[in-house]
Amino acid sequence: MDYDYLKYKKILIVDDEADLLEMVISILKQDGFNAMKTAGTVSEALQICKEWKPDIAILDVMLPDGDGFSLFERMRTFTEVPVLFLTARGENEDRLTGLGLGADDYMVKPFLPKELSLRIGIILRRYYKGESPIVQLAGSQIDFDRAEVIKGEEHFPLTAKEHDILSALYRNAGRIVTIDQLCEAAWGDNPYGYENSLMAHIRRIREKIETNPSKPVSLITVKGLGYKLVLAGK
Amino acid sequence: MKDITKLIRRFMGILLLSTVLVIVLNIIILAVISASQTANGRPWTTAKETAEALQETETGYVLTGDMSDTLSRENAWAIYIDNDTLEVQWHTENLPDTIPMQYTISDIASLTRGYIDGYPTYTGESEDGLVVVGYPKDRYWKHMSPSWDYDFIKNAPYTVLIVIGVNIFLIFLIYMIANSKLLKSVKPITNGIQALPSGEPVYVREKGLLADLAAKINQTSDVLQRQKRNLQRKETARANWISGVSHDIRTPLSMVMGYAGQIEDDESLPEGTRKNARIIRQQSTKMKNLINDLNLASKLEYNMQPINPKPVNLVAIARQSVVDFINLGMEEKYPIEWNTDEALTTCVINGDKELLKRAIGNLITNSQTHNPDGCTISVCVEKRDTEYRIIVEDNGVGVTDEKLEELRTTPHYMMSDSGTIEPRHGLGLLIVGQIVSAHKGAVSFAHGKQGGFAVTLAFPIIDIDDKQQR
Repeated sequence: MDYDYLKYKKILIVDDEADLLEMVISILKQDGFNAMKTAGTVSEALQICKEWKPDIAILDVMLPDGDGFSLFERMRTFTEVPVLFLTARGENEDRLTGLGLGADDYMVKPFLPKELSLRIGIILRRYYKGESPIVQLAGSQIDFDRAEVIKGEEHFPLTAKEHDILSALYRNAGRIVTIDQLCEAAWGDNPYGYENSLMAHIRRIREKIETNPSKPVSLITVKGLGYKLVLAGK
Repeated sequence: MKDITKLIRRFMGILLLSTVLVIVLNIIILAVISASQTANGRPWTTAKETAEALQETETGYVLTGDMSDTLSRENAWAIYIDNDTLEVQWHTENLPDTIPMQYTISDIASLTRGYIDGYPTYTGESEDGLVVVGYPKDRYWKHMSPSWDYDFIKNAPYTVLIVIGVNIFLIFLIYMIANSKLLKSVKPITNGIQALPSGEPVYVREKGLLADLAAKINQTSDVLQRQKRNLQRKETARANWISGVSHDIRTPLSMVMGYAGQIEDDESLPEGTRKNARIIRQQSTKMKNLINDLNLASKLEYNMQPINPKPVNLVAIARQSVVDFINLGMEEKYPIEWNTDEALTTCVINGDKELLKRAIGNLITNSQTHNPDGCTISVCVEKRDTEYRIIVEDNGVGVTDEKLEELRTTPHYMMSDSGTIEPRHGLGLLIVGQIVSAHKGAVSFAHGKQGGFAVTLAFPIIDIDDKQQR
């Protein structure tokens, strides 16, 4: 993990399968996390939540004394802790129920250890971005908290739309983000017909972050598909 | 009720035609009978001919020619009454005894109209007297007072026509009344029969002429409903069973994948062990995909997968599927080309985004699976007159014509009832077909332009108003 400060976050894992709990702990330990507690039931989980105050909770949906969805709702009455559902129920309705309740992510078993730790990392970064570092690019740095780009001695403020677009790209750094996803990030649902505006914004972002905006190295175009943000040293 | 009207119209047609035919037939029969009547009867003519054939000679009156033969053949007799004396001057041999020999003028008038002593008589005029031919009593029936109003005769053709018309009308009326009851009871029956194939429960009131038939339709509907319920129950059970199995297998598979993944990533372990762990991890990933596919396929097949149609942009979905694939980092072996015209930015249909993404993803994965040595995959979205097309094509090994034919015609083994257990192809394309048909689209398979395999998904263009798009 790149973000050492996140490794001290407290993780609560709720599942009724002891073997699975053990495995998740070993996965997360391998990934550098240290503070972890497990619970096998709803009541146990609630108690740990109240006393230990975890920074993130991983919940199974089927528990012996209730279901994860109602556990989540009860947790929400006293804590805003981010929640990831990890469950064997892969139906779309379940997924939508989970996300609809306000869960931060939903993963279906079976899963790859890497995917789990990546997703936990994403949630933690998003939640605790107050502590997020300044993003290093090849020719500049982005300070998302202050919404500005630092290039050499100069500071360029980011507009709200530019900030939205860059955040979306940063959340998926190193991966292509489609034109449609970026439009959605900047203009909301059903964003049709904003392709040209998006291109204009991308151009202005490049002027701020790239050393040579006509030969971009950090914000790469993938023709017809989308854009990719390349972090420094990657 | 188009069919009922058609039925009535046809009945009426037949009725009209048969009425006309019957009338024509009657006229013909009448004509034939009358003709035959005239041919063997003609008593007036016979009387006239007899009068002409009667000649006065020195020895008295003589009947010349064949007339006497004709008369005796007819069993008729004849007398000749002199104009002046009103006495019988001549008669045939066979004259009955009861025929008087002296006549008064009123006798003459009476016998001209009718009979002498019950013998039907006919008169013919000769030079100085009257020839009377009498026939046997049962030979002819004479109408004694044949006179009608002049107007009646003048209007006879119209009268006949009116009578015929009234008759036809009456027949129709009787027919309609007689049939309306039948038709009334037929209508709910036909309605019921027409409703049966819809699969909805049908109830026809068991009353009227066709109550038995109605009862049978109701029974049929009940049987169909029962069978439908049973089938649904079975299908639900099957889908639930698959869903249950796939649920239960997920947690154990998590452990296999999880630990295999950990071993694979553990750099302190020997390379061989890590390689083995990678294979375990890869194979369990395959199992995971298979379980997901099986579950989705069975749900789609039994309509248990809720489809959440919303206006979605096919270009965005296709683009996302391509990018998801590129982001997996397999581009070196499977370079992917985005060939959609840049001017085409929105192709909106009502659809389920996740399912459509799954369909395109499956096609890309399919190309990859069948080309282990790598291939270029091309994805493009096109707008045609009535449909949007998403075409996923590769330049890989492609398929044989037989395989293509099989893909087009043979049902998937999962849906096949032929009892074969030989797996023909994976679930990937089956799911694509199911998803596309759930969106009222069509899938077609073909050889790729560069020798590989090409799949086209076609979706009908629908009108979605602009407000929804924005």
